[in-house]
Amino acid sequence: MNGLSGRRERWWATAILLALGLLALLPLAAPRDDVLNFVFLILLSITMAQSWNIVAGYAGQVNLGHAAFFGLGALVARILWIGGTPIALAMVAGAATATAFALLIGAAAFRLRGAYFAIGTLALGEILRTTVNNVLPEISTLPARTIAGYRLTQRYYLALALAALSVLAVAALAGSRLGLGMRAIREDEEAAEATGVDALKLKLTALALSTGLAGLAGGLFAFYHISYYPSHPFGPHWTFDALLMTFIGGVGTLPGPVLGAVLYVVLKEYVALRWVDFHLLIFGALFIAIVLLLPGGLVQAAERVRRLAGR
Amino acid sequence: MNVLEQQLLLGLFIGGLYGLAAAGLSLVFGVMKVLDVAHGELIMLGGYMTVFVVAFVGLDPFVALLLVIPLSLLLGVALYWGLFSFVVRADEETRVKNSLLIGFGLALALHALAVQLWTADERSIVTPYAGAVITVGELSIPLVRLASLAVAFALIGGLHLLLARWRWGKAIRATAEDWQAALLTGIDVRRAYLLAFAIGTGLAGAAGTLVTVGYSVSPSIGLEWTLKALIVVVLAGLGSMIGTFVGGLLLGVAEAASAATFGGPYREVVGLVIFVVVLVVRPRGLFGR
Amino acid sequence: MLEIRDLQAAYGDIRVLDGVTLTVGPGEIVALLGPNGAGKSTLLNSIAGLLRPRAGAVSFEGEDLGRLHAHRIVDRGVALVPEGRRLFGGMTVAENLELGAFASRARATKAAGLERVFALFPDLRERRRQLVRALSGGQQQMVAVGRALMTNPKLLMLDEPSLGIAPRLVRAIMDALAEINRGGVAVFLVEQNVQAALGLAHRAYVLESGRIALQGPAAELLRDPHVRRAYLGPLAVRE
Repeated sequence: MNGLSGRRERWWATAILLALGLLALLPLAAPRDDVLNFVFLILLSITMAQSWNIVAGYAGQVNLGHAAFFGLGALVARILWIGGTPIALAMVAGAATATAFALLIGAAAFRLRGAYFAIGTLALGEILRTTVNNVLPEISTLPARTIAGYRLTQRYYLALALAALSVLAVAALAGSRLGLGMRAIREDEEAAEATGVDALKLKLTALALSTGLAGLAGGLFAFYHISYYPSHPFGPHWTFDALLMTFIGGVGTLPGPVLGAVLYVVLKEYVALRWVDFHLLIFGALFIAIVLLLPGGLVQAAERVRRLAGR
Repeated sequence: MNVLEQQLLLGLFIGGLYGLAAAGLSLVFGVMKVLDVAHGELIMLGGYMTVFVVAFVGLDPFVALLLVIPLSLLLGVALYWGLFSFVVRADEETRVKNSLLIGFGLALALHALAVQLWTADERSIVTPYAGAVITVGELSIPLVRLASLAVAFALIGGLHLLLARWRWGKAIRATAEDWQAALLTGIDVRRAYLLAFAIGTGLAGAAGTLVTVGYSVSPSIGLEWTLKALIVVVLAGLGSMIGTFVGGLLLGVAEAASAATFGGPYREVVGLVIFVVVLVVRPRGLFGR
Repeated sequence: MLEIRDLQAAYGDIRVLDGVTLTVGPGEIVALLGPNGAGKSTLLNSIAGLLRPRAGAVSFEGEDLGRLHAHRIVDRGVALVPEGRRLFGGMTVAENLELGAFASRARATKAAGLERVFALFPDLRERRRQLVRALSGGQQQMVAVGRALMTNPKLLMLDEPSLGIAPRLVRAIMDALAEINRGGVAVFLVEQNVQAALGLAHRAYVLESGRIALQGPAAELLRDPHVRRAYLGPLAVRE
């Protein structure tokens, strides 16, 4: 997991935020639903990948139950929103629930190290998904009145704001002492503790930040979709997608999850026209190659090329 | 009353398959310190192999095992050479983490491949004796599932003997205990890894056959079976294949009991909750002996 | 027989061996002394192939060992009893010994090897069905030496065989090593118990900070003031 220097991170943050700023003009330039839906998907993916990147990339804790927090955010936000709460408030409540749950289980889950944390969180995510599926088996559909007032651009701008927020959060984290401590834990937890880093506290902070963003993304999902099964956002593929995007782009870097998300959604949408799920075959193979050969993902590859060219 | 007993009996039958699924995973993890989360997908592939052997060669599914197991062994050899031989070069902690990630990528790829090749539909195998039932008192025992349990038990027993008696079986156990010491006694540890992985994949293939005969196979069953196998491995610990099998039986019965108590939909949750609790209570020691 | 020339080894960035040159001849008992952290275990592990050296050469009977896998080195007749014994605790004494004869050169001599081990350590014959885990430290050390002997070695290397063992058993192990050596096996011994090691060895080297600081016949080193001060302690100096 090769990080980037502080200057490169800031350069990337500026570039990404500029690009997101330009995307704010898209509804004016091309007010087509298919285009907006496509970009919406990218933006949601950026938020999810970036949120996963905080806990896995920076703090080094491979959380395979990330979908649980996305799902909790969606569940709470949806119920409150349909009940009449303003969406912003409903989303914040959803995120707060996700974070509260994360902190509740975090202290126990972080007793697990490395791969055991990963499979423990995977099981936890499955417990939540199964339970929600049992308790709320009925599909959740918006009331007719809400559907009548549905405006895609609202959702689009909200997604844009969340993606920008996630990039800003990671940029701030990457340059801070907090982020430095997290990276120390990622490299060697015992050594980090020996130098005075409170590992549990930092890991919980990373998890809270990560799950808060995932909870907001869940709220956005609840706001965006007209009907879905309540257990759907708890599905493990939400975690797996975030993981793939982050690793392929470059885990533990700021631009990695963004690049990964763009590439992933573009390929998925393009390939899905002809072959169902074929993108997973490509990304599965690409992912294996990256873990084995290029642990820093595309960002690392780009850095290598840049250094070679600069010579 | 006899409804409950009937349910527990069916739990025992599926528990045998959990045990078989877990044995392969346990062997691979114990020997190589590689956590292959694509194990469920290997079971899935075994299921499809069985479907095709039965359809095109016209064999009885239980006889088809004689083809499915060797084919799965070969698949295991290929996967070891192609992927996991690169993972075992790393130190132990990196090894577990990387193997998890690689297994994960493999699981995705195999799942997608299965959907491409065979569509997402469920398939099962109907034998002429599918409906046959043996009645003991008030219990009715489906013949296919009884046979599956017997086959699973026989495979575990065979594996146990293989590890206890065969020269390379002992080498595999020695490697599991201390791979450096194994090297010092002249054991080619890479070869022990290859054998363990191939056998683990062979067991997954066999489990796939039994799953398809007794239940059904679809490209998406992988994750569920990986989780079941992980739960059993965590419960039973490493080292004893018989112990792993018993752990599988227990999980099957526990699931059936909880389904009977809390209602069917909670069948899955019980095992997962036990799993998480055991993990957290014994965060380091659980995979130890 | 064993020739090491200018060997360098490191863990990550930390250099442990900084150009070690030494030899062990056929039929010799050579001791390697030195303080903790001097690199003694690293040297043995490099010879055995558990660790790849950075530079330098290790050759055995004229063959370069640097390119061989650890299990092949065993097959050439170089055995190591590692520090802490590293036995297969969940297996029986007999299984541990049998595994020693895994390499092809040892398979043919398995039965004879087993008799040789039981003759050397009669205790083990009675306990051969017991799990190694249940044995005492000294008995485990016997199994460890026995397992290495089962590989039918020409050179037997031992890393701290007396560590954590009752004094009475240290004597038994040292006697066994002398006996093994009389059978024509060269012995290369790393030992903290300098008195015992120099009492047994023909020649010795002193390794300090990754370099050979001193070498010579064992009897001579036993009289050397530096060795006495550094390794035999004030008691021995007064002696």
